[in-house]
Amino acid sequence: MSETSTPRRDPEELHRTLDEVWANPRGFRALTVVNHTTLGLRFMITGLVFFLIGGVLAMLIRAQLALPDQDFLSPDLYNQVMTMHGTVMMFLFAIPMLEGLAIYMVPKMIGARDLVCPRLTAFGYFCYLFGGIIIISSLLLEIAPESGWFLYTPLSSSEFSPGPGSDFWLLGVTFVEISAMAAGVELVVGILRTRTQGMSLTRMPLFVWYILVMAFMIVMGFPPLILASILLELERAVGMPFFVVEAGGDPVLWQHLFWLFGHPDVYIIFLPAAGIVSTLIPVFAGRPIVGYSWVVAAVILTGFVSFGLWVHHMFTVGIPQLAQTFFSAASMLVAIPTAIQIFAWLATLWLGKPRMTLPMLWILGFLIIFVIGGLTGVMLALVPFNWQVHDTHFVVAHLHYVVVGGMLFPLVAGAYYWMPLLSGRLPSERLGRWGFWLTFLGFNLTFLVMHWTGLLGMPRRVYTYDTTMGWDLFNLISSVGGFILSVGIAMVIVDFALHFRFGRRSPRNPWHADTLEWANTMPPTNYNLVSLPAVHSRHPLWDDPDLPRSTSAGEHGLAGTTFGRREMWGSDPLTGQVREVVHVPTNSWWPVSAAAALAVVCVSLLARVYVVAGLATLVAVVVLLYWSWENGAHPRASASDEVAPGDPPLHSRTLDGPGRWGMGIGLLANGALFLSLLFGWFYLWTVSPQWQMPDASPLSLPLLLAGGVVLTAAALWLERLVRGLRRGHDRGLAFGLYGTAALGALQLVLLVVLLRQAELAPTASAHDAVVTVALIYGLIHSGLATVLVLLQGRRVGYGYVSARLPYEPLVVVQLWRYHLGVYWVLVAAFWLLPTLMGGSA
Amino acid sequence: MMARLPLTHPLHLVIGMILWSLWFVAFYGGLSVACAVAPPDPLQGAFTAINAGLALLTLATVGLLAWLAWRAWQAARAARGRARYLARLSAGLYIFAAIGALYMGLPVVALSPCV
Amino acid sequence: MVKSIRQRPLAWAAPLGLGLAGCAGDTSILDPAGPAARDVALVWWGMLAFFTLVFVALVVLWLYTFRGGSRPERSAEDERRIGRHWILGGGILLPGVTIVVLLAWGVPAGQHMLPLPIGKPPMVIEVVGHQWWWEVRYPDAEGGEVVTANQLVMPVGEPVDFHVTGADVIHAFWIPRLGGKIDMIPGRINRIRLEAEVPGVFGAQCAEFCGAQHANMRLHVEAMPREEVEAWLAARRPEPAPTPEHAEAREHFREHCADCHRVAGVSEGDVGPDLSDIGVRATLGAGVMAMQEGAIADWLRHHQAYKPGNRMPAHDDIDAETLEAIGAWLETLQP
Repeated sequence: MSETSTPRRDPEELHRTLDEVWANPRGFRALTVVNHTTLGLRFMITGLVFFLIGGVLAMLIRAQLALPDQDFLSPDLYNQVMTMHGTVMMFLFAIPMLEGLAIYMVPKMIGARDLVCPRLTAFGYFCYLFGGIIIISSLLLEIAPESGWFLYTPLSSSEFSPGPGSDFWLLGVTFVEISAMAAGVELVVGILRTRTQGMSLTRMPLFVWYILVMAFMIVMGFPPLILASILLELERAVGMPFFVVEAGGDPVLWQHLFWLFGHPDVYIIFLPAAGIVSTLIPVFAGRPIVGYSWVVAAVILTGFVSFGLWVHHMFTVGIPQLAQTFFSAASMLVAIPTAIQIFAWLATLWLGKPRMTLPMLWILGFLIIFVIGGLTGVMLALVPFNWQVHDTHFVVAHLHYVVVGGMLFPLVAGAYYWMPLLSGRLPSERLGRWGFWLTFLGFNLTFLVMHWTGLLGMPRRVYTYDTTMGWDLFNLISSVGGFILSVGIAMVIVDFALHFRFGRRSPRNPWHADTLEWANTMPPTNYNLVSLPAVHSRHPLWDDPDLPRSTSAGEHGLAGTTFGRREMWGSDPLTGQVREVVHVPTNSWWPVSAAAALAVVCVSLLARVYVVAGLATLVAVVVLLYWSWENGAHPRASASDEVAPGDPPLHSRTLDGPGRWGMGIGLLANGALFLSLLFGWFYLWTVSPQWQMPDASPLSLPLLLAGGVVLTAAALWLERLVRGLRRGHDRGLAFGLYGTAALGALQLVLLVVLLRQAELAPTASAHDAVVTVALIYGLIHSGLATVLVLLQGRRVGYGYVSARLPYEPLVVVQLWRYHLGVYWVLVAAFWLLPTLMGGSA
Repeated sequence: MMARLPLTHPLHLVIGMILWSLWFVAFYGGLSVACAVAPPDPLQGAFTAINAGLALLTLATVGLLAWLAWRAWQAARAARGRARYLARLSAGLYIFAAIGALYMGLPVVALSPCV
Repeated sequence: MVKSIRQRPLAWAAPLGLGLAGCAGDTSILDPAGPAARDVALVWWGMLAFFTLVFVALVVLWLYTFRGGSRPERSAEDERRIGRHWILGGGILLPGVTIVVLLAWGVPAGQHMLPLPIGKPPMVIEVVGHQWWWEVRYPDAEGGEVVTANQLVMPVGEPVDFHVTGADVIHAFWIPRLGGKIDMIPGRINRIRLEAEVPGVFGAQCAEFCGAQHANMRLHVEAMPREEVEAWLAARRPEPAPTPEHAEAREHFREHCADCHRVAGVSEGDVGPDLSDIGVRATLGAGVMAMQEGAIADWLRHHQAYKPGNRMPAHDDIDAETLEAIGAWLETLQP
């Protein structure tokens, strides 16, 4: 493990052995690739394609609005185009693009060789790809969603949107969000557990801090929308009236759940882009960032505060003024962490000697546009002003300033900055500058003027307007600007494409950067670094500019590979001290098969062929379980538990591998989903205009208690087994695991009986519908917990789990704890409280 | 609690804002439920039991956060290296959480709760 | 397309000559005609001025850092101090003071629009959003409720409480020159208080996306002195006695239209707009075309071309003369 103990070997030989283990297969087997470099690129290229599609849709919108009374698009088609522009840009471009960048860059910046769950990366990519194709296909068939990208009910419900458009949105977006969740989970775990030797939390590059917070926000922020989509799809497909007033539901619940996701989403998009800014500015100012800790604090604050602002999208729904002002204050509060970052950047430039390179030009564009967007954001946070401009083109202008300024400009800056790493060549200065100025001017022409159009009273999402309104000129200017903007973007893309061929050869680390990704060869290898260096400050490449050579020469840790495994360091989340050798899984068919099965589920739900959907779900579950089977001590995951002398043990032989963290973060996401469900329950109960609470709970108390007792007993039993494993003995392990599984199965049966006995009418009342969903949530967890513990029992038999291999039950036990907690909360929320508070509203 | 989780622990980086989040949920949830169950006469203005309760809740939260900020600051002065760094950062985050709660709670002194 | 027939010179030109007095049309929030809108416009100009200052200062500073030439040598301690000053001053003090002032100064601007109890209870007007037209009701009109559609008459110089809801999907009620908007949500009644200080015609348009014809859901708002409003309401109260002419057209109407539309004394349909006073309305189809001679018949024949997707079935099954006759009769309907 220490750097000197590694015996010197021939660098070529080291490279060859690593390449053998890490190589990507070609041909149709390229579908099995799990490598983060390849998948990061695939994410970004796919994102670029969707960006172009979204851009064409934007041009259609601007063409229609260029003149009053245009017939260029029919109202129906316009509404599809406008809905899809928002959907594609937000869900298929912005988030996946930044995920792709993070997936590509983070392991390189923290000195890892891959993300900890590479197969999850691949699974996420295919979910994204298939989901995106499903969503886009609706546009080609001219049955795209047409109720605006936030799909408000009841406009999106089956009564007012009878076609399959809303279903495409709900199922497709949920599918894509699975991919975001996968990326979120593994980025958190990768960042916390696989940093190279000595990279403590306080030495982490700022970009990685931003990504860490973004990943946590994805994990907490996407579940509300996933839940909302499930509920609305259930309403549309089966008739469960969650959002129907007459049955006790409430359309405003959708808005709450949507914006509980939607507002954090803006910051999920902004934070990684701000991370790019915080990376580039110090490099081009030639000095460390001013106020590293201030920036870290600001990022953490943004992460939290952004979950407390969602109601500012709903100031006109009729919420009492005190509550509105509360959210107004919260929305303004977020200006402080943002300003801290802006002034930290300014101070860095002030104290450094900045160079106006092409990437910095884009950063300048970012600053100007984003500050305007931020300032109009503060305006919009003010309730009375919001009442006036809400849902007008003022808001459209504001949001484009924030997302284009706050995301696209830094992204292009980052692309120019990191392009040499990818291609080994430098971007051209001339074409690049033309591209920038056209984009910048076109953008401001389009959207600065649009603020005014909004102030003149033009609502958003109108397909036409009357010439007497006085909006003609401003719309025409916006449209002309829009086309200039597209020419600029096209030029940037051409510039990128050309530079791969015509760019000047770049030296290693051309910008004189300080972070580890520049220690890689250009382009990087599949395994990143031949040997993993220790870091001693925040600026490893400024400390030791020789790192690109010395890492390639194998002068640092884990040089080459000895046992034919894909290996990297597992380290302490706080100090970065190396604790384990993490062996990550290799190329596999499982991820693409699982994603394909889910795509079949999605398509057959769209086509309402429920038998096929059921079968495909079954296939997906089986594939996922098989996938989980080939893990840990399974010979396909790791044939031997040998490690080089002096190296720490393999993570799968310890008590605390990254998988435990993965399960923990996954359960955090699950918890956010459950909390959203509870929020929906209490929201409808207190606010829904025609909510009906039955006089007595339909749920049988004896059955609830019996299920709870069985579950508690099973969970305690499992805890005992785990405690034993921690102490190093495994007496009765298999029997105990099977026993736990049996009790779990018994509890499952009790829940089914409970559900049947309750005789709920989920299509007649929102109350019964929510109770049904809650019980099914419990059922799914009973089933999953039971199956997983049963498989653990089998694995004891195969010798994959034992006192010497205690790791996996420690992962599974977390699910059981979670399930136990959730069950009793369900009992309290759905039986105890209603019984205590009595029936009626 | 301090004995088990010294103020130099990185978890304190988020505890402040987690407490803020809990206050947030209690404030908004409490206000919504109170307005659904027993809305006061709008003529009472800000002088209602709901406002008083929310003000007390906010003051208690701000007090707790400010105390934690002060304790973290003290801990930072006693510690060195990374521990000192983390404690100072935590102190800053506690202060922000406290000021944030105070600022967001301010409207209870002026506005009628349920209109 | 029969687009050329379309003329709407009168649609938005205010009969009283005041509607276009503002800088740009009659939906500009910068041309307030009531206390609420005025306060908000003032807040806007204040914010714009201050934020422009902040923005320009920031950009100038930012550009200044790129100047050439040498930089003073500074000790590490100096650099730390300077950095701290930047962040404390610009990152915390500046936004901190700004948001406190903004909240204290800006929030009261919305006070006018809250339906708080006041001495004399204001007049109540109920507005219901439909896909894609407006139902307007005067529940407290002397002698019984008055119902109309796509036009709203309100007294000038006194606050009016609007109680709004949606009949199908969510719409939003918004008269930009008078004040903020409020959503019209099925199953709830939202309230907003607005006041017009000057008489005139104000534009209004649905502000929450509500489907295919969201763009063509406009409301003709007219503020006039209280007495005129009373007279306007009084004229709509008695059911007009059927006139002998147009008897045939009325029969056609009963056959083809009565299930959906109400005409006082003739039919009680409540699916589409009430047509009892359609002859004197300024526009047809919720602002799609101006009312003039022959306009209704034209609308009846081509309404799916003028307003594609609107809920009224195409009248291909009815011959042109019948539609002409119905149109001619409807044009005579006046209070």
